[in-house]
Amino acid sequence: MVKGIEKYGIPVVHMCTVVPISRTIGANRIIPAVGIPYPLGDPTQGEAESYKIRERLVERALKALQLPVDEQTVFEKDNF
Amino acid sequence: MKLELGKIEIKDIQFADRTYIEGHVLYVNKEEVEALVLEDDKLLECHLDIARPGEATRITPVKDVIEPRVKISGGEMFPGVIGKVSPQVGTGRTHALEGCCVVTVGRIVGFQEGVIDMSGPAADYCPFSKTMNLCVVIEPKEGLETHVYEKAGRMAGLKVATYLGEAARNVEPDTVEVYETKPIFEQAAQYPDLPKVGYIHMLQSQGLLHDTYYYGVDAKQIVPTFMYPTEIMDGAIVSGNCVAPCDKVTTYHHLHNPVIDDCYKHHGKDINFMGVILTNENVFLADKERHSDMVAKLCEWMGLDGVLITEEGYGNPDTDLMMNCRKVERAGTKVVLITDEFPGKDGKSASLADTCEEATALASCGQGNATLKFPAMDKVIGTLEYIESQIGGWAGCINEDGSFEAELQIIIASTIANGFNKLAARGY
Repeated sequence: MVKGIEKYGIPVVHMCTVVPISRTIGANRIIPAVGIPYPLGDPTQGEAESYKIRERLVERALKALQLPVDEQTVFEKDNF
Repeated sequence: MKLELGKIEIKDIQFADRTYIEGHVLYVNKEEVEALVLEDDKLLECHLDIARPGEATRITPVKDVIEPRVKISGGEMFPGVIGKVSPQVGTGRTHALEGCCVVTVGRIVGFQEGVIDMSGPAADYCPFSKTMNLCVVIEPKEGLETHVYEKAGRMAGLKVATYLGEAARNVEPDTVEVYETKPIFEQAAQYPDLPKVGYIHMLQSQGLLHDTYYYGVDAKQIVPTFMYPTEIMDGAIVSGNCVAPCDKVTTYHHLHNPVIDDCYKHHGKDINFMGVILTNENVFLADKERHSDMVAKLCEWMGLDGVLITEEGYGNPDTDLMMNCRKVERAGTKVVLITDEFPGKDGKSASLADTCEEATALASCGQGNATLKFPAMDKVIGTLEYIESQIGGWAGCINEDGSFEAELQIIIASTIANGFNKLAARGY
């Protein structure tokens, strides 16, 4: 899906837990997610903390979406 | 560590007023077994049924399959789960009821429990179509949480297998096989001119009903470790998972791991089989990174020339498989992978979710997406109620007479990713 959408010139950020698979399929902007059962949050930390984690990851994704990249890039931190 | 495995061939199962073995027939006291299962107050009902090869019988939804065994030289089977943990695990003498299985059946826990047909086209794909099966059909109490029901089913099967194994305690085995792996330096010195080969055994540990137990420890909580292969033959690993039926490694398959069997056959001839490195398949990237690093470190530390790697399940465990492959190869040990494939119904998708440049040798165990027509059977042990939602089925796949069409995935162990099947790339 990531490659299919990018083929039409629309940039995609792939937020996923298993970064190696994302690399293998050819995603260009990758954000490591929390875990396979809960990629965007962490229920073990309660709803309020989980929301903060999700907000931070989505903010990072929106920023990554606007950044030109010339190779597969993994955004592990917020400051780029 | 040296284990003598005595095999008592079982050619039939009959119900009787007590449980014993005579003339290759296992006689089972039905009431005693049912009472044993119902000791667990999570289970409301239990009944037993016998399924024999060639009968027009379908068993589903199948949770686990277990071969009854007993330790006769001290120690107990399924240590940490049923029996006590002791230094006797993997050593001394064990008796096995060869050709006979306990099959746990009942309303589905997840949607990943499969089908065993005792005859017809699907029987060709399933090892348990050829064994005498004592089916333990369980009915859980209303309102049980799924994981509680899963545990009750898992324990019921293991308890029954342990109970039946006792019948073999004083029976003279038909054959006795001896397996031995020495401590690392002695083992390396025994065959100094042969390549040192290990087996990297990846346990299903994704959680949410995808779990395996190592001496009773939930495998997602382990870090990679070393095992003598004979420990596994005494039930040190038991299945607790509801992974796709086709590549579910049942407890039977742990006891009969074909990679371990084959490595022992070659041991001292063309390889020096050094033992098993045990690892898992967790759902967090940090675990995958840490554990594949540790697997590679163990290979280097053991001075292995080559390893075979098997996985359980498909999808994200393919990444663990490839990370292990890449890191072990880079640490200087040659790798051969053993796995199955899922290229989609049309065969056009990538058959593994992940790959790496170092993956240059792979033995395939077949693909699970091909479809098969399952004829109606005279008898169903369990229920056909869930066929459409079991993995491999789809809405509308079943007909009123009980016949259905489904992917090979729905058959227990049809593409099992350690090669204990007839679709594996191996010679016969």
